[in-house]
Amino acid sequence: MKILFTAKGDSWDSLVDPRFGRAEMFVLYDEDKDELQTISNDEAKEKAHGVGLQSAKKVLEAGADVIITGNGAGEKALEILKKSDIKVYVGAGDMSLRDAYEASKKGELKVQF
Amino acid sequence: MSAKEIVVISGKGGTGKTSLSASFAYLEGKNTIVADCDVDAANMHLLLGADFEKQEDFYSGEVAFINEDCCINCGKCKEVCRFDAINVIDNQHRVDNISCEGCWYCSRVCPTGAIEMKTQKVGDLYVSNIKKESKMVHAKLGFGAENSGKLVAKVKTKAKEEAAKLNKRYIVTDGSPGVGCPVISSLSGANLVVLVTEATVSGLHDLKRVQKLLKTFSLKAVCIINKYDLNQKITDEIENYLKGEDIVVVAKLPYDETFTKALSEAKPIVEYDSDCDLAKSVKDSWKKIKNILGDV
Repeated sequence: MKILFTAKGDSWDSLVDPRFGRAEMFVLYDEDKDELQTISNDEAKEKAHGVGLQSAKKVLEAGADVIITGNGAGEKALEILKKSDIKVYVGAGDMSLRDAYEASKKGELKVQF
Repeated sequence: MSAKEIVVISGKGGTGKTSLSASFAYLEGKNTIVADCDVDAANMHLLLGADFEKQEDFYSGEVAFINEDCCINCGKCKEVCRFDAINVIDNQHRVDNISCEGCWYCSRVCPTGAIEMKTQKVGDLYVSNIKKESKMVHAKLGFGAENSGKLVAKVKTKAKEEAAKLNKRYIVTDGSPGVGCPVISSLSGANLVVLVTEATVSGLHDLKRVQKLLKTFSLKAVCIINKYDLNQKITDEIENYLKGEDIVVVAKLPYDETFTKALSEAKPIVEYDSDCDLAKSVKDSWKKIKNILGDV
């Protein structure tokens, strides 16, 4: 499974960024390979409007099965994400990536849809 | 421990959102950083006596720029522009910066590559000292420029940096009106949202819209019903609706011209007359808000 975090930094100790569209960056964890990979979100951050859709596209292209984030995706981005099998976990806003990952495994995070 | 952020929004304009945000900021004083995300009609700095101490430029979006040395005045750019942003003045094709939407079409069709897209300065970002030895982050937009999620994100990031640097307990954010991109950006990372509404049909209508947005983001909210005595029937409707949504009403404020008098002296109500009933209710609501945040 591939898990994508909206993140403020690129390591397990970094914090989850509560924002989806304007997240500092995305971090993809490939469970099979046990590998962390950083995906830049710089171009979206520079856009004045419509960043949610851009980010949704990125996430789908990255092939993530699960998203872990804080507030969740906005309405427009959600509409896109709902068309795939991706699951969005929310409420990880103040956690480190490691804690958020563990919380999701224990079923402690809410699903946005 | 990072500062807790309280975002004040209203959906509808004119409900008293800014007056109340400024009052909360004034009450909490030194413990807060204020972030004014209502950039289209920024006026909170007036109430809080901002001094515009630090300034930086804010860039957003692009506009077309015609390099006249390479331009052969073929008119292809003018033909494709859907915003009528290209005019011929003194036999030279020129871009009207205010009409240009930065869509790149002209730049793509230009046969000589004379059109460059340039990022545009749309406004200024400020960090100011304000009343009660506090600080606020705010922005001013240039003519024809509009607020955006990007600008709001910038104001908020700056406010968070300042809060961390100065070890503040709260960030009071005056959110943007409406339900669009800037509002979504205002809400991100909020610890608590304060909905300010009024007893009017549009007050209730916009409250419902904005609450729908909050639900998408699973954000916790409380509500202040301002001018509740304008229409008791609607106030009842609002209270019923809020009950169903599990939102606590932290204050019901009457229509009171003291609010306007305070505004005309550029003071938050709690500064203008800290002993009046209105100020007491506002103080009480702030206490309740802190209580809900688990801080009292």
